Amino acid sequence: MARPHIEPFVDRDVSFRKFTMPGFPKGMQYKMLSLDPDNGACTMTVMFEPGYRQPPGMSYSEYELFIMTGSITVGDKVHGPGSYFMVPAGVSIGALSSPRGATGLLFYNYGEPSFVESDSDHPRAERHKFAVVNSYDDMQWTSTNFFPATAPGCLVKVLHFDERTQAFTFLYCMTPNFWQDNISYHDCAEEAYHIWGTSWMMQFGDLPTGGYFYRPPYINHGAFGCKLGTLAIGRTDSRLYNHFHFNPWTNVEENRERAASRVQHWMPDLYKWINTHGHNHPVDFEFTHGHAHGDTPHHHGDGMVEHSHKKKRRRRK
Amino acid sequence: MKSIPHKRSREVEAWLKREITEQKARYRKIVAEQDALEPKRTKWVAEFLQRIQSRGTHVHFNIMRKVRPEEIPVQPKRKFRVVV
Ligand SMILES: [Fe+2]
Repeated sequence: MARPHIEPFVDRDVSFRKFTMPGFPKGMQYKMLSLDPDNGACTMTVMFEPGYRQPPGMSYSEYELFIMTGSITVGDKVHGPGSYFMVPAGVSIGALSSPRGATGLLFYNYGEPSFVESDSDHPRAERHKFAVVNSYDDMQWTSTNFFPATAPGCLVKVLHFDERTQAFTFLYCMTPNFWQDNISYHDCAEEAYHIWGTSWMMQFGDLPTGGYFYRPPYINHGAFGCKLGTLAIGRTDSRLYNHFHFNPWTNVEENRERAASRVQHWMPDLYKWINTHGHNHPVDFEFTHGHAHGDTPHHHGDGMVEHSHKKKRRRRK
Repeated sequence: MKSIPHKRSREVEAWLKREITEQKARYRKIVAEQDALEPKRTKWVAEFLQRIQSRGTHVHFNIMRKVRPEEIPVQPKRKFRVVV
């Protein structure tokens, strides 16, 4: 199974504890927000104690770090609140320290937290995807550009967009007195953390500062409301589409089926092709790992769509 | 390359096992809290179904439409679960 539905969870209700994962230096504390039992991918609130020091090093999983309070120094540059790092797997970052301490969020997206001391990249690292930005000072709020879109008053700053999966990480804010009277669900999983402010959802009630959710696909959420404004950070694991409706009682199966039916009507030719009981191996010509080692579930005309190969050479037609 | 294949040590496995157990407990607590919210939720849902008929439901951005009474869904007999 992937990560469970954790919604809502308020991290202010629990205290920090020492992060004792092997490989990491002493002086980091954490609160676990959500964890994938299969691959160890997780999201945590973290605190770097004053004086924290970490040598140059890399992680086996892609990770994202967002600084909420205090500051960290990486190399010779100081990164304060709003700083965001996207660190691909195997990319070594410079020595990290926090002379006065800091809090932030750490997202390990594809594997358990790991730290390997190294001042050079792993041979398989994708260095060009490394990114650092101060989202508070150097980026501006924009409207969401999805169709259909969230109601006016929900603004975003896109921090990261993954070309392959269309997963994205974003800051969002809801203006005071924001409201949206519909129910939404997506084909992707989404997670979010309230940096400041309280907002309301018809299913789960109020989510205050420090509030968090990890929501698997096809789960109803909304209507929405926010009295005083909210600043939050969110992340999806793949493309986000707003499936809006107004039936409070539909379940995951019904929502998924509706989404599939929409694919059938919106992209009939593609739908038919995917459904063909032939030898369909959707391969993305732009990506060499599209289907190289059976990393994408597929079938051989037998409907066993979860089938995947043991490592072997790519078949060519 | 989202993650680089590597071997997990026994200590890492133990750490994960502990976290998985704790997450199960957190999940159960959330489900119990959300079940307890049911009376309020029932009221919120009733108010929502009224509002979408009078003021309308959001279709896209600032575009709204009023829902006709015959479009209002009927609650199914099964248990209404919001945490899946
Ligand atoms: Fe959503």
